[in-house]
Amino acid sequence: MNLVALPVLVPMMTALVLLFLGTRPTLQRVLAIGSFAGQLVIAVMLVGRSWDEGVLALPLGAWVAPYGIVFVADLLAGLMLTLSAVTILAGAVYGVIEMPGRRSHPLRLPLLQFLAMGINLSFVTGDLFNLFVAFEVLLLASYALLTLEADDWDVKQAFPYLALNAVGSTVFLCAAGLSYAMLGTLNFADMSARAADMSGDPRLMALGLVFVLVFGLKAGLFPLYFWLPHSYPTLATPVAAVFAGLLTKVGIYVLIRMCTTVLPHDMSALHGLIAWMSGATMLLGVLGAISRNFIRGILSFHILSQVAFMTLALGLFTPLSVAAAIFYIAHHIIVKSSLFLVGGVAALLNRTDDLNRMSHLWKATPWLGVVFLAQALSLAGLPPLSGFWGKYLIVVEGLAQREYWLVGASLVASVLTLFSMLKIWLAAFWREEAEVRVVREDRRWRPLTVVAGAMTAISLTIGLGAEPLLRLAGRAAEMTLDQEGYRDAVFGLRGKSLEEGIPGVLPVPLPGDGAAAGGEFLPFPGGTP
Amino acid sequence: MQADTAVLTGVLFAVALWLVLQRSFVRILFGFIIFTNAANLFVLMMSGEPGGRQAPIMEPGVNAVDPLPQALILTAIVIGFGVTAYLVTLLYRLFLDGRTTDARELFADEPDEREKSK
Repeated sequence: MNLVALPVLVPMMTALVLLFLGTRPTLQRVLAIGSFAGQLVIAVMLVGRSWDEGVLALPLGAWVAPYGIVFVADLLAGLMLTLSAVTILAGAVYGVIEMPGRRSHPLRLPLLQFLAMGINLSFVTGDLFNLFVAFEVLLLASYALLTLEADDWDVKQAFPYLALNAVGSTVFLCAAGLSYAMLGTLNFADMSARAADMSGDPRLMALGLVFVLVFGLKAGLFPLYFWLPHSYPTLATPVAAVFAGLLTKVGIYVLIRMCTTVLPHDMSALHGLIAWMSGATMLLGVLGAISRNFIRGILSFHILSQVAFMTLALGLFTPLSVAAAIFYIAHHIIVKSSLFLVGGVAALLNRTDDLNRMSHLWKATPWLGVVFLAQALSLAGLPPLSGFWGKYLIVVEGLAQREYWLVGASLVASVLTLFSMLKIWLAAFWREEAEVRVVREDRRWRPLTVVAGAMTAISLTIGLGAEPLLRLAGRAAEMTLDQEGYRDAVFGLRGKSLEEGIPGVLPVPLPGDGAAAGGEFLPFPGGTP
Repeated sequence: MQADTAVLTGVLFAVALWLVLQRSFVRILFGFIIFTNAANLFVLMMSGEPGGRQAPIMEPGVNAVDPLPQALILTAIVIGFGVTAYLVTLLYRLFLDGRTTDARELFADEPDEREKSK
């Protein structure tokens, strides 16, 4: 069994089995959590192999690269797979502790597995149409999770999310059609080869704009974000943590993949557009966060301003800033989902997450306070916590490129982030309101704090030992920016993955000199339409 | 062939957009359905004219339509069907909850923040 296919196959098979175990909650939970742990192990192994061997490609069914479906895992994909496995594992464990016995919904764990399948497929897929399928799998799972345990009010909030994402997916389908018409292929490697040939063509710019529209919507960039901060707070805590950590980051990942691997690197107008959209998102997101007065609302708005840091790093588009974007994704997924978990524990203790009616938490549970403070300061980017390193690199690169306004916006956004985090701290933890009671008899808060604390430990490790992860992010950025290497791996020119996976495959004709080698197999005799 | 398909796709997109921007759920739903179908037609149109094209596994000289967009559209139709089915049930639930199909009425008396007491 090839390692590259497992991140998709394992959650799919587990989900199917879990669907039949609805009446056996204990067995269902053990199996689901075991499967998530297994996915984490697979992802870490993929990172290790990709570090040693470069880009790993698996042509499915022995259909060689430009014609068949290819799964590709490079270091960036492996890193994203690892982060998604960690986050979903934490969310599942938290959900199991929070809802003991038969109280939890029997469909939540299977749907989380389907969500994992969609997310993982979008990380390992090597062509645009499978990416569309992966997005639909993860979106349908997310629609179902959004309305699974919802009351009247929650369902209303789900409607804009659903409508906007459904329309976004349809525009994505049109984008796939456009790429096929322009480039004659949907395979990322083949697309990059043909796009490189028409470098400087204005049609490429149009295609890039459509990509920014589609994936900017998924990521929650400036004019396209308003579906996010209203729908996320309606979710149950563990599901909200998974959504907040992962869903927007899939959009960012694809945006990075498109800008680095597929489109030519000389499209500075497109990169500038992404950078300026990020600047606007940053400020508006953090202002929205200040305007909210309940923990999940504040955290949901913060997703926007934090996502903008990653796209700003991508927009600056130097090898170091792409590495900073990757590092920032790793930092943000862990910090944001653990903050949602902390918010959930706090809401459990005070029986509400409305800041006007919370208090006493510092006295009641100092450890929860420590965990919250560490993650909040990390989100704001104070050294030596994990958020600092990503922001530092972004600011350094921004200054080097003389983007003073954007750097200024990012610094203002950081200060305002700190301000809104302190708002939670002062109201929920520090204040001592006589009539508010802390419900400590509910024993669940201790193990739940441990789950949030474990995520915090990972984030502290990232912050204090930033060097190895920075090296990893640097290597991953190098690998995605190296279009030649990606193509060689996918077309099987390095031979490693092909010979190992499928013995006896014929040598592949190069797409470049296709007329000479095996021209009768090309779908378009005489070139692209 | 190309020109009239282009006009048809444009009209479909325009109609879909107009419907999606309406206040009634049912119209939004129909707008979405037309939108997905317009996108499918768009992908088909993008594959170009069939004349002279050739499938990768056929003998040279045989005229055939490019099969890839057809496969893609088939997948997209199935996915669009699933999303539409979900949307119908969601809108039915919204109608049962609010006893209205008017989006503005549904979101009218919304409190600024919700006081959750979970």
